[in-house]
Amino acid sequence: MGALQSLHGRPEYLDLAEKTGFSFEQIRVLHERFKQLSHNEETLRRSHFNEIPDLACNPIRAQIIEAFFDRRNYHQNGEGTVEEIGFEEFLVVMSHFRPPSLHMTEEQRENVRREKLRFVFNMHDTDNDGTITLEEYRHVVEELLSRSGALEKETAKSIADAAMLEVASISMGHMEPDEFYEGITFEHFLKLLDGFEIESRMNIRFLNMDTSTLCK
Amino acid sequence: MLLLLGLMLLTAAADPPGADGPPLRGPGLGFSPPDAASPSAPPPLLLRPQPGAEYAAPGVASARSAAEEPGRGGEEEEEGGEHHHHHGGGYRVVQWEWSYVQTPYIIATWLLVASVAKILFHFSQRFTTVVPESCMLILLGLVLGGIVLIANKKQLYQLEPALFFLFLLPTIVGDAGYFMPARLFFDNLGAILTYAVVGTLWNAFCTGFCLYAAKLLGVIDDRVQADLMDFLLFGALISAVDPVAVLAVFEEVHVNDTLFIIVFGESLVNDAVTVVLYKVYISFVEVGAENVQTADYFKGVASFLIVSIGGTLVGLVFAVILGFITRFTKKVRIIEPLFVFLLVYLAYLTAELFSLSAILSMTFCGIGANKYVEANISQKSRTTVKYTMKTLASIAETIIFIFLGISAVDKSKWAWDTGLVSCTLVFIFVFRAAGVIGQTWVLNRFRLVPLDKLDQVVMSYGGLRGAVAFALVVLLDGEQVKAKDYFVATTIVVIFFTVMFQGLTIKPLVNWLKVPRSTNRKPTINEEIHERAFDHILTAVEDIAGLQGYHHWRDKWEQFDKNYLSKLLLRKSVYRKSELWEAYQKINIRDAISVIDQGGNVLTSARLSLPSMASRASFPEVTNVTNYLRENGSGVCLDLQVIDNVPGAKVEEDTETHHVLAENLYKPRRRYQSHYSRHFMPLGEKERQDREVFQRNMKSRMETFKTTRHKRHKKERSLKKRRGSDTKDDGGDKPRRNVSWQDKDPVVVPVESEEDKAEHSDQEKDEDVGITFVARKVETPKPRPTSVPADVDGYQSPTAAHHSPVGGDSHLPWKGGLGSPPPCVSVEATKIIPVDLQQAWNQSISSLESISSPPPPAEPVHPRVIALSRLGGPRPASYSPSSSQEEAEEEEEEGGAASQEMQPLMSSLRPPGSLPPPPPPPPGSAPGSGRRRNPCVYLKSLVTAPPAGGSELHSRGPTQL
Repeated sequence: MGALQSLHGRPEYLDLAEKTGFSFEQIRVLHERFKQLSHNEETLRRSHFNEIPDLACNPIRAQIIEAFFDRRNYHQNGEGTVEEIGFEEFLVVMSHFRPPSLHMTEEQRENVRREKLRFVFNMHDTDNDGTITLEEYRHVVEELLSRSGALEKETAKSIADAAMLEVASISMGHMEPDEFYEGITFEHFLKLLDGFEIESRMNIRFLNMDTSTLCK
Repeated sequence: MLLLLGLMLLTAAADPPGADGPPLRGPGLGFSPPDAASPSAPPPLLLRPQPGAEYAAPGVASARSAAEEPGRGGEEEEEGGEHHHHHGGGYRVVQWEWSYVQTPYIIATWLLVASVAKILFHFSQRFTTVVPESCMLILLGLVLGGIVLIANKKQLYQLEPALFFLFLLPTIVGDAGYFMPARLFFDNLGAILTYAVVGTLWNAFCTGFCLYAAKLLGVIDDRVQADLMDFLLFGALISAVDPVAVLAVFEEVHVNDTLFIIVFGESLVNDAVTVVLYKVYISFVEVGAENVQTADYFKGVASFLIVSIGGTLVGLVFAVILGFITRFTKKVRIIEPLFVFLLVYLAYLTAELFSLSAILSMTFCGIGANKYVEANISQKSRTTVKYTMKTLASIAETIIFIFLGISAVDKSKWAWDTGLVSCTLVFIFVFRAAGVIGQTWVLNRFRLVPLDKLDQVVMSYGGLRGAVAFALVVLLDGEQVKAKDYFVATTIVVIFFTVMFQGLTIKPLVNWLKVPRSTNRKPTINEEIHERAFDHILTAVEDIAGLQGYHHWRDKWEQFDKNYLSKLLLRKSVYRKSELWEAYQKINIRDAISVIDQGGNVLTSARLSLPSMASRASFPEVTNVTNYLRENGSGVCLDLQVIDNVPGAKVEEDTETHHVLAENLYKPRRRYQSHYSRHFMPLGEKERQDREVFQRNMKSRMETFKTTRHKRHKKERSLKKRRGSDTKDDGGDKPRRNVSWQDKDPVVVPVESEEDKAEHSDQEKDEDVGITFVARKVETPKPRPTSVPADVDGYQSPTAAHHSPVGGDSHLPWKGGLGSPPPCVSVEATKIIPVDLQQAWNQSISSLESISSPPPPAEPVHPRVIALSRLGGPRPASYSPSSSQEEAEEEEEEGGAASQEMQPLMSSLRPPGSLPPPPPPPPGSAPGSGRRRNPCVYLKSLVTAPPAGGSELHSRGPTQL
């Protein structure tokens, strides 16, 4: 069955492989997973994601799932969200987590970095206005802490506030008396996580073999 | 632990010069304890006749017996300077009691020499940046050894394997394990294990076989009587990278974290391999190579698994015990650190007892327990543990290197063979490099962050050998291993070469290769947040992709830890705090401390200089610290406010001056009970002053923060206030200053840990309770401490809050017991500790939130706000005379009103221009309106109109802590 499928799927995979940089093998594995998640349908909906058992206790589950349905993450300059995604979109979003190749020029590295950070930025910037506002940031922190119980609500707020103040102090430097801090723009976001080696951090090792059988 | 140190050093100085104790034993070995001293000391070796056995057993015994001899004569009186030694009967006034004190005396002298040597090395800054300390220490050892040798014709001191394995090594490993960055370690565990196991095996076998080949080829002299087994044994002990040497050298080099953890982790974990190989070969050498059966090899493999896994398990078991014990040390804070030392050390000894890998055991005990222990014990204990561990480790390291140097001088124990030495040097270097490159090639296929060429060079070059190898080679039995003396010499040369030559050159090499260094920068809050966020994102993506990768399992482990382990090992009070919160807390504290460090100066100097500037027309109203902070861009600098310099009246200046003086001069406010207690440490004067500086800093920062956040209602408030109090606010004779009531009144606003509900009755006497922001007016006729109890009730139930502040003093748990209530605040409530700071933060912020949003029923803040505003008590006349009750009510309305207006703003406003235009500022005629600060930066949602005069007065009142 596997052989038949891969034969059948090859031409389609070729296109995807070019687009996403995954190997055929990885695409095949991910396709298996896709079908498993979607119960052999063509598209995935949010409810499918919510069914993943391991995801259930992930505090920022909602944001991540949302990222899969976010047009901004499809490399197409789209905006807004969609209701269901096909395998291609699934794969494209996944490709944000592909480890970059070992030999990169400085420029490539910077591009990878921007791309990955853009993904995270989009995740935080829920209303797609180019800034992460305090409200949005608070939301992120709250979600992050949500696993720790109700107690953290206030804490989350204060942490987000402090973090925001920090952003303001880092990115704006000296502000004039009547200046306002709008929220984190992408440029500030880049600056903010300057010391963060995202190009080596935001990676997942996509295996060539199918481990989905191990998953319940 | 000190005792232990003493004990161990007893053994070090077992052969004091000029002692008329038992004659020195054959090869000059001090002694080795009769029981299994080290994992690597197999029984047969220890069966060697020990002439000094009785001497050896417990060092103490010898001291004691020595003590009895002279003591028999009569009473002992020790007096340092002069000494008369009357023989015969009669009462002897002064005696020479050398034999009684000799052992500890010599130990202490050694420690002193070592420590002074360290001081001396660091005199020359430029010198120490070039030459690693370990080199210097070895050189010093060589010199000292030479002196002793010349003076005594015999080497009296030696690095004793027993001393080394039982006392010196554990202090270093304990320190390393306990402070090991666990996350980094486990992130790189795969690489570490590979290098430690495969790499060490590779090195050991290759070195052994190649040396044998060299012997067969005739490169190594025939005098070296060794066969294959001997060489393999030697290969095993010489091949392991040494944790002590690696630490000593790499700590000064500051390569990047990943590189460091791989090399260092390898040096710790390879202990199991070394131990097993060593033992296996020793037993093979004993029975003779020809008698070794195939089964023995499998036994060797099994033994490796048992030694390593068993050692790890022992360590983890002790980690659990340690975590569990520290859960209950609340009442015995003073011995809290001791548990850490004892259990970590016991983990080591227990592993030794079962001849498991003690280093592994201790390392994992440290790694495992660290998280829970650090969360459980108090801040002071944390500091104690940290410093004691570092001190011990540092001194042990010093002693090890000095003794290595001294041991090298003793010619009686080694025999030189150029062939062997040079072959060994070449082989270990070549195989290390080959091993690293080979393994890295394999590892890089699996690693997300590949190790590049530079890393490999540093790793190859950083394969330092050290005292472990020396101790092992000294432990060899000369009867069984004929070539022992040659091996000793070779080991010494190898150690010296690696530590001195490679240690000396690794720094220039790293510089030259431009290996990425570690940045000593602490992560910012945002980085911490994203750190966590990434963990979750990656886990989620792995889950979605159906991969069971590293993040998947790490997440599983974290859940297990959270659900079971933490529940078991953490105090209730700390259990529910999330990691992010802890990180935040740490950052906050760090920041606050840095404020004190830098700002403390500014605060005192700048503010104290104010009186002299009193005549200046413009007068900075609030503290300069905020300004200072702002300029320095300190991390969580909360100063988003600009200080407007507005001319003030002379009266105001005077008051200001007066206030400045009142605030900044430390007055002997109370006599602290100066009784001596062994169990509780009294607060020092210095500490109290520090605390006050801290409190003031925090207070001002908090004010700043809040005023910034709540500009929004200020204007409203001010309007209201204006309306409400205009009549009362007659004239400007008494300026309304934002130095408001809380500066004049002793008000204690304790902040409790919300979850301590269950424990609030037995408040942690220690500093873990409440931070208190105190301000007082020293001139208040009768300073009256008013406190809100630092417990949940005061916080959450309005009623409690209502009555406790003023009337409830007597029933406060810690109030009644205090004989003389401090004018300012009770000691227990004012300690500063992260928790408190955090909570203070929360409260200050939440109290603000409560104002900015419709107060939900559960909103705990209002009551307290009311309480606070009430307990204002005797307000300064300058304060606007609205009664506290009124004010509280007003507060609430205003909160509501403000929040209504806040809502749309919060959600919709983007460009500042879209704000509703701020209402015109109140008439400038209002007293004090000119002396307002201008907000400079706002968070968007908090964007507000330029503040109006007199607003702070009100807005700050209730919200300020």
